[in-house]
Amino acid sequence: MVRPSKFEITQTAAGDGVTLSIEGELDMRTTGQLSERVAEQLDHGATDLTLDLRELAFMDSTGLRLLIDFHDRSREEGWRLKLISPRHEPAALVLRATGADKALPFVDGSEP
Amino acid sequence: MVPNQTELLADRAHNAVVSMDERGLVRYWNPGAESIFGISASDAIGRPLADLIIPESSRATLNDLLRRFARDDPGPVLDDRLEVAARHRDGSEFPVEMTISALRREGGWTFTAFIQDLSVRRESERQRERLVQELRRALHGSERLLDAIVGSLSDAVTIRSRDHRLLYANPSALAHLGLESLEQLRATSPTDIMAFYDVYGADGSEISMSQIPSVRLLKGEPAEPLLIQAIDRRTGVERWSLLKAAPVLDEAGELEATIMFTEDVSEQKRTERRMEFLAQASELLASSLDYEQTLRNVAQLAVPDVVDWCAVDLFDQDGDRVPVAVAHADPARLKLAEELRAYEPEQLDPEQGLGLVLRTGQPVLYPEITDEMLVAGAVDERHLELLRAVGFCSAAVVPMRIGSRTLGAMTLVTAESGRLLDSLDVELAELIAARAAVAIENARVYSERTMIAHTLQQSLLPQQLPQVPGYELASVYIPAVESTEVGGDFYDVWETGGSWMVTIGDVTGKGVEAAALTSLVRHTMRATAEFVTSPAELLARLDTMLKKQPRKSICTAVCMRLEQDRVTLAIGGHPPPIHISSDGARQVGGFGPLLGAFEGMEWRDAVLDLAPDSKLVIYTDGVTDALGTDGERYGLQRLQATLDRCRELSASEVIETLTGALRQFQVREHVDDTAVLVLRRLASDSHAQQPQEQEHRTQRLVA
Repeated sequence: MVRPSKFEITQTAAGDGVTLSIEGELDMRTTGQLSERVAEQLDHGATDLTLDLRELAFMDSTGLRLLIDFHDRSREEGWRLKLISPRHEPAALVLRATGADKALPFVDGSEP
Repeated sequence: MVPNQTELLADRAHNAVVSMDERGLVRYWNPGAESIFGISASDAIGRPLADLIIPESSRATLNDLLRRFARDDPGPVLDDRLEVAARHRDGSEFPVEMTISALRREGGWTFTAFIQDLSVRRESERQRERLVQELRRALHGSERLLDAIVGSLSDAVTIRSRDHRLLYANPSALAHLGLESLEQLRATSPTDIMAFYDVYGADGSEISMSQIPSVRLLKGEPAEPLLIQAIDRRTGVERWSLLKAAPVLDEAGELEATIMFTEDVSEQKRTERRMEFLAQASELLASSLDYEQTLRNVAQLAVPDVVDWCAVDLFDQDGDRVPVAVAHADPARLKLAEELRAYEPEQLDPEQGLGLVLRTGQPVLYPEITDEMLVAGAVDERHLELLRAVGFCSAAVVPMRIGSRTLGAMTLVTAESGRLLDSLDVELAELIAARAAVAIENARVYSERTMIAHTLQQSLLPQQLPQVPGYELASVYIPAVESTEVGGDFYDVWETGGSWMVTIGDVTGKGVEAAALTSLVRHTMRATAEFVTSPAELLARLDTMLKKQPRKSICTAVCMRLEQDRVTLAIGGHPPPIHISSDGARQVGGFGPLLGAFEGMEWRDAVLDLAPDSKLVIYTDGVTDALGTDGERYGLQRLQATLDRCRELSASEVIETLTGALRQFQVREHVDDTAVLVLRRLASDSHAQQPQEQEHRTQRLVA
């Protein structure tokens, strides 16, 4: 098997919102974890969810697909999704190269 | 040779085995549970275990426990033991010990609880207390008096004098020690008696005379009960015992002797081992899709602690036996199994063993295999010799079933250990066999699905790249190795309205669904290209089509229209092509939005002039996402550096160089599909004399 990707999700809550900060590689081996964490938050009634991707080092097409699914779901289910742009080029590149940097709800990282 | 099956399966279990689902609802209830709790299986199944057998006051404990386990995922064994109060149907309460194993399956957890009634054990403890009192008084009387008190006790009882000699042993102790009489006992020194055995503690360390509780008491040391494993050197019989000692004081209050009870706990030990086997086997079976290897590992787990031999066989479509595993702790003994196999008839006998299990789908237990049974079953002298050499004690064959289909069977055999199999062994084996059957079925369905998806995906790639005038084309498609699913990489080259179209893309999603979408994308592109010349317009139409799909359908693509000395291209969320010219390798075409994903997007055409001998490389992200040994990705920079060295090469040589570089970079395998297509503009003058072989290959980077 391939060595597991480094991957960590840290959760912080502020007011009504929950922020999940994602560090490491979001790929076919780690999307399941993020998907579970987000589902957990929604189950607990979160209505304002921020995914902080600043420390996201890498993202493959399955990772991107997951973000798009979150975006679609947030509109269908009526909760708020905000994304903070990755600082690392490999992850940022995937977003630019697909137009996701403009189409997904990215906000300024300084005031999530 | 076959005793009546129902007789064999007569209820001899005094321990309860029950399974429950995540909500604590009973799914399995054995005869032992029926007798311990006075509740029939039909009444128990479907009801919460806690409501059935736990008094209200402590119900929360069990429910909490299960919830906690389901949440924390603690592995196959939950807790060593759980002691709780239980309730009989008649309302009486009694203590039980539960050992619970957990198995995570699709749809949640399954818990299997093994429950022992402790009241019997508690009662014998109280009885022992009383005995000590009586023995103290009887010590100065006759042996007959001692015998009257503990003679009929099944526990071994010995009395040791202050000078460490054994004064008395009850008949059970004498039998254990292998001695004929009390005279013989007194004539043998304690050291000599100890030398009959190899004695080990629960942790496997050797136990010496000075650690025996009765000896410790005599030395004035505290003596906790001691669990030992004793192997009789004379017979090889192994026994687990719990030693408990009590002091005997004289009238002046001085220590005069010690009494030691040796309780045979071999059966409890065996139960523990069986539960461990169940837990470990369940975990193994849930862990892998390589079911043949897994079944071999499970068979190996069973020996020698549970049984002496364990075999697993599958049945093929014609009901013929396909041996998968035979395990024995001593590899030399496995030769016997091989030799015996030669005596097996072509067709399974539907009246016994495997054949009977295949025919009826029910387990068979042979609790005691006698020499007469071997004689009756042997076909000739040599066969009988081999059968006797195995030294059969008892055997059980249990089916591995899915619904009404019997996929195979597990065979358990005891021999040199002298253990006899009972209905509890059969029940545990059935639990494991049921899990094995699910594992086999999952693996089979899975590999079938993977094969279909692979075949479909391959069929979507052109069998051979067409000849494109003025260009040399080469491509490679590398399917993911050990893939859990099949990806959706594709490429296509076709002629339309006098010009040539080249595309490459990646449908997100996996498996048959992705393959179906790939097919739709390819046909849409081909059809649209008939009346749309702009690649950007073509991508826009594709985007519209994808958004009309009932399920979110996303894809990336590069679409190019080739002319003699230039190319028009548009990009939809795909890595831009790399242009290799005499100046080096660089990305061209810019970025364009993903197809089928977002609202209000636009795509633009880019035009690129192609000088003779320059090349365009289009690829899927399997190239740049490839993982290296230290966890790094191959990435765009490495790709550009590699292609930069390819300026003088032909298209097929570029493919070779790139696949070579990837092979070297990667850890071991491709986790994602990878496709690369290279086109090289031929020098105008070489145009005519170079109807070269167009290269196209499908290969695996890693063998």
